[in-house]
Amino acid sequence: MRQLSQGVSHCASLALAAAVLLSPAAFAQTAATSTAASSTSDRWLHVRVISTESKGETVRVNVPLEMAEKVLPAINKDRLHNGKVRFDDREMNGVDLKVLLDAVRTSKDGEYVTVQATDSDVRVAKQGGYMFVHVSEKRSYSEKNGKPSERSRVEVKIPMKVVDALFSAGKDELDVLAALRALSAHSGDTELVSVKSDENTVRVWLDSKNISD
Amino acid sequence: MMILAKLGLGVASTVVFASAYTFREGVIRVDVDEHRDGGSHVHFWVPAAAVPMTMHFVPKRHLSEAATHASEFMPLLQIVTAELSRYPDTTFVDVRDGDDHVRVSTVGAKLEIDVRNPEENVHLTVPLATVNDVAAQLAASAPGI
Repeated sequence: MRQLSQGVSHCASLALAAAVLLSPAAFAQTAATSTAASSTSDRWLHVRVISTESKGETVRVNVPLEMAEKVLPAINKDRLHNGKVRFDDREMNGVDLKVLLDAVRTSKDGEYVTVQATDSDVRVAKQGGYMFVHVSEKRSYSEKNGKPSERSRVEVKIPMKVVDALFSAGKDELDVLAALRALSAHSGDTELVSVKSDENTVRVWLDSKNISD
Repeated sequence: MMILAKLGLGVASTVVFASAYTFREGVIRVDVDEHRDGGSHVHFWVPAAAVPMTMHFVPKRHLSEAATHASEFMPLLQIVTAELSRYPDTTFVDVRDGDDHVRVSTVGAKLEIDVRNPEENVHLTVPLATVNDVAAQLAASAPGI
């Protein structure tokens, strides 16, 4: 009886020691595995806003696209349902976006819109599977040489597949989820949006790193 | 004497085992420091495993009431925490505006929220598994389930 109780207490002590000693290792291993998994294949969407004002506000957002794809369908609020955003036709001022997009998609690469005005330049083009939008806003006169200088510059570069996916839902809907999936499938680092103005610098880009700088 | 030693070993083992079990999911840490005169300073650590356990003792009607208010967000919270746990040691949001600083990040399997400004510092660390457990329990307590 005495030997039996000694054996049981020894076994219990050993099991307890093993459990206490091995549990951190197991946790560490799980964490390491998931880190490796998240760093190899994930695509990250980064947003960075830097204000040039005196306080210098900085906003950095890093979102894994795979996570966004899973979270978005769970948000059902106002106009967002099942990863789709509904918009009112009246807000488009009579412009049928679907028809417009179809026209761009089926056309050859080239520059579709070029507007050069005294206060702004606008350029919309399609090239190498990307849709480019360039908007440059000018000051009326520069203080230096009297010529108009640039007040803000907006550059948008979106893969056509993403644009297609975005407009793949119903007539008055934007399929954000499909666009995210198309972005996920897009290989390579891509700068999607860049805005430079007197007040702010905004960058939205896609890569495989989980840090923005 | 031998019986006493064995009893001691049994008690010690139980305490160690209970502690290991309680802290296996980590701790919830809340630090609040108000910088004004007479401002409060709150610092507490709670074993994360205690929270889902404690929820079993909350009266059903209170839990059901809370679940009704939060039911809309519980599935979202469950998905978000499950997904966040796949990205350890990552900063998701970082906002700096002068002396104000807000950071939302994961450190290992924990969610860390840091808010620092001249008025106060707030630091919250909570294991994602705990948030997920609580969200699941609240979702299950919602009326009609």
